[in-house]
Amino acid sequence: MKFRKKLGGRVVVPVALGVAASVGGLALFSQGAVAATSTGSSSTSGANSVTYGGTSGAGSAPITNVKLNPATIALGKTLFVENCSSCHGDTASGTSRAPNLQGLGAATIDFWVSTGRMPLADPTVQATVKPSRFTKQQTLAIDAYVSSLASGGPKIPEVNLGSASISAGEGLFSTNCAACHTITGVGDALAGGVYAPSLYPATKTQVAEAIRTGPGNMPRFGPGNLSNQQVADIVKYVKYLQHPNNAGGIGLGHVGPVTEGFVGILIGLGSLMIAGYWIGGRAH
Amino acid sequence: MNYKPIDWVDERLGTAKFTRKSLNKIFPDHWSFMLGEIAMYSFFILLATGVFLTLFFVPSSADTVYHGSYAPMDGHVVSQAYASTLNLSFSVRAGLVMRQMHHWAANVFIAAIVVHLLRVFFTGAFRKPREINWIVGSLLLMLAIFEGFLGYSLPDDLISGTGIRIAYSITLSIPIVGSYLASFLFGGQFPGNKIIPRFYTIHILLIPALMAGLLGAHLAIMWHQKHTQYKGKGKTEKNVVGIAMWPAYAMQAGGFFFLTASVLAALGGLVQINPIWLYGPYIPYKVSYAVQPDWYMGWLDGALRLFPSWEITGFGHMIPTVFFPAVLLPGVTFGLLMAWPWIERIFTKDTGAHNLLESPRENPWRTSIGVGVMAFYMVLFFASSTDVLANTFDVSLNFVLWAFRVLVFVIPPIAAYVAHKLAAEAGSVESAGRPRKAMVVFRSNEGEYTTEESDPRPELEFKRHAMHGDIAQSLPEESRLHGEATEKADDGEDYAFSVSSVADTPAEEIGERPSGGSGVYEVPRGAPGSGGGMFSPRGPVHSKEVSDSEDEE
Repeated sequence: MKFRKKLGGRVVVPVALGVAASVGGLALFSQGAVAATSTGSSSTSGANSVTYGGTSGAGSAPITNVKLNPATIALGKTLFVENCSSCHGDTASGTSRAPNLQGLGAATIDFWVSTGRMPLADPTVQATVKPSRFTKQQTLAIDAYVSSLASGGPKIPEVNLGSASISAGEGLFSTNCAACHTITGVGDALAGGVYAPSLYPATKTQVAEAIRTGPGNMPRFGPGNLSNQQVADIVKYVKYLQHPNNAGGIGLGHVGPVTEGFVGILIGLGSLMIAGYWIGGRAH
Repeated sequence: MNYKPIDWVDERLGTAKFTRKSLNKIFPDHWSFMLGEIAMYSFFILLATGVFLTLFFVPSSADTVYHGSYAPMDGHVVSQAYASTLNLSFSVRAGLVMRQMHHWAANVFIAAIVVHLLRVFFTGAFRKPREINWIVGSLLLMLAIFEGFLGYSLPDDLISGTGIRIAYSITLSIPIVGSYLASFLFGGQFPGNKIIPRFYTIHILLIPALMAGLLGAHLAIMWHQKHTQYKGKGKTEKNVVGIAMWPAYAMQAGGFFFLTASVLAALGGLVQINPIWLYGPYIPYKVSYAVQPDWYMGWLDGALRLFPSWEITGFGHMIPTVFFPAVLLPGVTFGLLMAWPWIERIFTKDTGAHNLLESPRENPWRTSIGVGVMAFYMVLFFASSTDVLANTFDVSLNFVLWAFRVLVFVIPPIAAYVAHKLAAEAGSVESAGRPRKAMVVFRSNEGEYTTEESDPRPELEFKRHAMHGDIAQSLPEESRLHGEATEKADDGEDYAFSVSSVADTPAEEIGERPSGGSGVYEVPRGAPGSGGGMFSPRGPVHSKEVSDSEDEE
């Protein structure tokens, strides 16, 4: 059985009681305003009838679209043909093995490639997160190529957390996301071999892309469900969950009473039993 | 020193005699007898930290807008219970460490009760005359689990609210009376706004009072009946060999209290438990996946997960699925647990009183049944984390669930069979349980080597006795003499169960007086001085021949 890579590495059996390094990790609330690296909604895919929430121009907008460089399309095509075409076809129009990618939008392509899910490790199971095969520039080139083939689909969102509310994010996260990803974002197994992955390794852009495109079994939350502001709020809360306030000490993987029970029994009671054995009589 | 106030009290209450007798009481010294102490000390920590928490917790479901120091919850409409728990955690000095100590102590408390119960079960300590204490202890375990669940529910966070929702459904599932019970308990439909204050009253008043009373009874009965002891040199059904209450046992027990307190404080200060700020308030339409109860409810949660969705209809009433794993199973569990001393008697026909414990290997059938039952509940316990296991080991949740459904029937018989084999095998080994004899190699002048058996590790015996002896001998000389003198005059009322057996025992075997287990040295229930004495500097040297025969027990 192949173990899924958990880049966040939070689901660890908490053996190291002595390592209290995580005590009191306050003050991770402020993520700091991230300068919008690009403005304008123009992309190589041309005009869209649906905006998918992308706003143009305003630097303080909660979400701006990443501008893809048309000059990278050729590189993107080369990379796509080398790495993706055996399943998706040379023009991303799909084959019997893999779906048509045309018109899905840059955000979808960027999510699957940048999280390392594509190319697939194993086509028979849910796509696993792994280190991406491509650099950021190469990924953007692939995004540019595929989104140049047909118009439509959400563009790559650049999330500006400066105006986002972590408090509103908590409310939206607990309503919309916790039912699968769990309230701490650690993820969990769902029925039938499907799982909701941990949110710990996700970047801001990847969280927003997942919300907007609904990868795999995840539902898609379009602009009618969640506004750009709300997406930014959720992203801010997810980023907080990646380094939450562990005021109480070692976080124990944030999976709740399961690890707490093991620590209570094995370390709490266990050390006391050893202490009793130490000070108590032994010979019958 | 001015003894006047002490005399004043003594002349009115006669405390001196009781105190002297108590101070001289003998406790068998074995580490496995200290498991119950862990539970008791955890209970004290629970009381102390719990009182602190009540000063800041607001048991109310009324809505309030949170504007405390925890930014991600700022502006949320939450219950006062949740808001006050957040404030307790972030704004009250030492509030969080107190809350976490309380929670860790609860986890350790119940774990210690369970381990203590297992020790009592596997050594046969529940046999006559201790059936009452077995029942009292079982009641304490039941109450502790219930109490733990209530405490876990009080912060009104998303995870515990889901637990209350399950408890509501379980109550509803009881045939005929279920809907009435649920309605009475919750003051109407779930969730209502009455359950938190009601749980609070039950949690801080009703059950703690019951538990304190039962714990007092548990200890008093143990005190009155005297502690059991393992078989061994100089130990009989009619004596207690051990260390005196004062000072040896008091020092040991007092030290153990501080060890318990320090472990719980370390956990409370270093390891996060139940971070309710990450869970958010309970709002009925919200749900988090991966919700588990605290560990002691795990077997019930596991049973709920494993039980197939059968609904049985009879006499015009439908019995919902959850009734079987969540009402019937715990009912049968605790019913059988409390009835065990009588169930066992049906098979053993053993109606005699026992003060000497059995080793698990001496009773393979009991050991086997105990291990089998334990394995059953262990499987249920692990089944409560099906989702976490499936996620951690990257297997399908459905596979994990079905695996547990099979394992819950397969593992217990296998475990019981293996336990029986091992116990029977170990019991048949003649030297099992005896101290290993040292083999000493001698070399003669001619260079010939011979091997001889020596006494079992005599230097260790000596060290142990010397250590306790040093403490005991700090007792003033006159008080010892005084104590023994009075014991002889005493009617032995402190010696409950073997008054009759004293009568039909030859005088030379029990000595002058069983003396109520309060001899300063070591042989309160038997002849003082026989077998060398616990605190004699060289250990039981002269009684080697005698003790060999005594070891046969």
